[in-house]
Amino acid sequence: MTDVLHLAAVALYALAAALLGISFARTDRRLPAVATTTLGLAVAAHGAALASYIRQFGEPPLVGLAPSLSVLGFLIALGSLGVATLGRTGPLGLVLVPVAAAVAAAAQAAGVRPDGEAMLFRGPWFVLHVVLAMLGYAALAVSFAAGLMYLLQFRELKGRRFGAIFRFFPPLETLDRIGRLALMAGLPLLSAALLVGWAWTERFQHPMAIGNPKIVLGVISWLVFVVALAVRAGGSRQARRGALVSVLGFAVVVISYVVLRVGASSHTGGFL
Amino acid sequence: MPLAVVGVSHRTAPIELRERFAFGRAELPGALISLVEETGAETVVLSTCNRTEVYLAAPEGVDGTDAARAVLAKRVGMSAEAAARHLYLHRDRGAAEHLFRVSSGLDSMILGEPQIQGQVRDAYAVARETGCSEGPVVGPALNRLFQTALNVGGRVRSETGLGIGAASVSSAAVDLSKKIFGSLKGRRALVLGAGEMSETTLECLRAEGVRTAIVANRTWERARELAERWGGEAVRWEQFGDALAGVDIVICSTAAPHPVLTRERLRAALPNGAKRPLCIIDIALPRDVEPAVGDEPNVFLYDIDDLQAIVSGNLDRRRAELPAAEGIVGTGVEEFWTWYSSLAVVPTIRALRDHGERVRQAEVERALRSLQHLSPDDQLAIHALTRSLLNKLLHSPTVRLRQAAGNGRGTGVLDTVRYLFELEPDGSPHED
Repeated sequence: MTDVLHLAAVALYALAAALLGISFARTDRRLPAVATTTLGLAVAAHGAALASYIRQFGEPPLVGLAPSLSVLGFLIALGSLGVATLGRTGPLGLVLVPVAAAVAAAAQAAGVRPDGEAMLFRGPWFVLHVVLAMLGYAALAVSFAAGLMYLLQFRELKGRRFGAIFRFFPPLETLDRIGRLALMAGLPLLSAALLVGWAWTERFQHPMAIGNPKIVLGVISWLVFVVALAVRAGGSRQARRGALVSVLGFAVVVISYVVLRVGASSHTGGFL
Repeated sequence: MPLAVVGVSHRTAPIELRERFAFGRAELPGALISLVEETGAETVVLSTCNRTEVYLAAPEGVDGTDAARAVLAKRVGMSAEAAARHLYLHRDRGAAEHLFRVSSGLDSMILGEPQIQGQVRDAYAVARETGCSEGPVVGPALNRLFQTALNVGGRVRSETGLGIGAASVSSAAVDLSKKIFGSLKGRRALVLGAGEMSETTLECLRAEGVRTAIVANRTWERARELAERWGGEAVRWEQFGDALAGVDIVICSTAAPHPVLTRERLRAALPNGAKRPLCIIDIALPRDVEPAVGDEPNVFLYDIDDLQAIVSGNLDRRRAELPAAEGIVGTGVEEFWTWYSSLAVVPTIRALRDHGERVRQAEVERALRSLQHLSPDDQLAIHALTRSLLNKLLHSPTVRLRQAAGNGRGTGVLDTVRYLFELEPDGSPHED
């Protein structure tokens, strides 16, 4: 049941992404609303898949590569749905939904089930640590999407091009505000995740070495947030630079993750 | 019940003539009452700067169109023949289709312009509020016609891209500003030049919530006049550089033969660069702003060609939506016409049922006189039985009559029913 629901969610994400792509390419008033509804269905199916996982395996899907990626994809999609419905900026999904779809598809390909060490990581502190971290990374993804769209819209407006990007993308000010708010929400979440993770390992596990890939990734991610917010401290004058840092910062986190995962031993456990 | 529209629009008359035909808002109730008295029909008058139209739904056998033409001709002081050269007439289905196209913006001078929907709504509202000695000037036919027209117009706007994007230079300027700032509420604008284009653009910006307008013009009086009209402030032409630092949007539309806003002047006004985005819209010819100004960080510069490119692109996209919009209009016409045609059969259906009921009652009473031994319950049962028989017998003819009316065969079928059951043309029973 978990696999079927997860697969349905991935298919619906792909459909929502395709609908947004078509909305972008041609002017249609109804398609964005249809895309948002489809995204809502995808999020519901994904949520049901995660609930089914908990029922099936008796633990939250927070341990092991595939379950963690699945939760991350779910939170990114949830963020996209949030900005589409509450912030009325559905076009942000043009970047976020494919990211969520790709992450969920990667989880699907890896097989959404616990790995061998899952039992080691049970406990409320661990759950809190991972959930906070995932929310932080989802916020970074939202900031990345807003930043990327800001840069593209800025280029169109400055270059006096009035094509699909000009028409479909939200205004610069809106993108700047979403990017800033996502960072402001994400930094405390990731900071709390790191603190809880540190306290949890100190209390219940052997203290980790400073070079542990998980610590390295956590610190890099935290620095990305700090730098991105610091750059934006200059107000709207720095909006473009802030958008650029959000995009580069997200890329740094993804690349760091890949490099650390490739370089790490196969039994580091958890997200890695 | 014939339906018709008599009118004049941008397609048939120049503006000098259209403005003579037009009715002001205050004149409309009087005009409606006078038209109802002249035509004897339900009446709605739609009067905008691009059209004046009189919609009529007259009783069977009455044609109010000549009277409506005469009223319109008299209004502009022309003979009926001279006015007829500019007036058009659509009847029945054509009249409904015309109104649906009008409310959808398909008949507008600027394809898909949104104001017409509100103007149709206002015209209908005025007619609903107006009564004459014989009752309201709008009856069931025009009520349904205008409600359907508003519904069709709303569907065209929500389901197609016909109304998307700016279709005039001033609204393109607003669109551009909104793509930078999002909402324009509370933004500050500087207007260089106090000409007609500046004022039109300023009007659009104020409608979007631009808070402060600073007007600078070489003629101080003209600047002050424009500023007063729009609740802004006027500054001396030599001092407009000082105002640059505090504004978000600059509209330039002077008649100067050379650029009035150069890169050096901007840098002098903003020595540390623009702290926030500055949108400069230059609608002057020759241009008021040196192109190099657009290279400054945080400055977005657009000229008249950019605005026209936006308008032209939007109009092309609107034209591509025409088939979808026409489809919605066609569906609306079909639905309305099916309902409207069925109105003609209602009196005949009613007369047919009355006729049947009279026959039933007469026959039952005659039978009951020879069946006086029956209890009251039994007598009621006989009434129920005959009533049920009558309803079952008349069900199919009623349904078929409505269907025939809807598919255009109503007149022939109605004549047959009237002949067979000896009903008068208005549906009442024939009396020998």
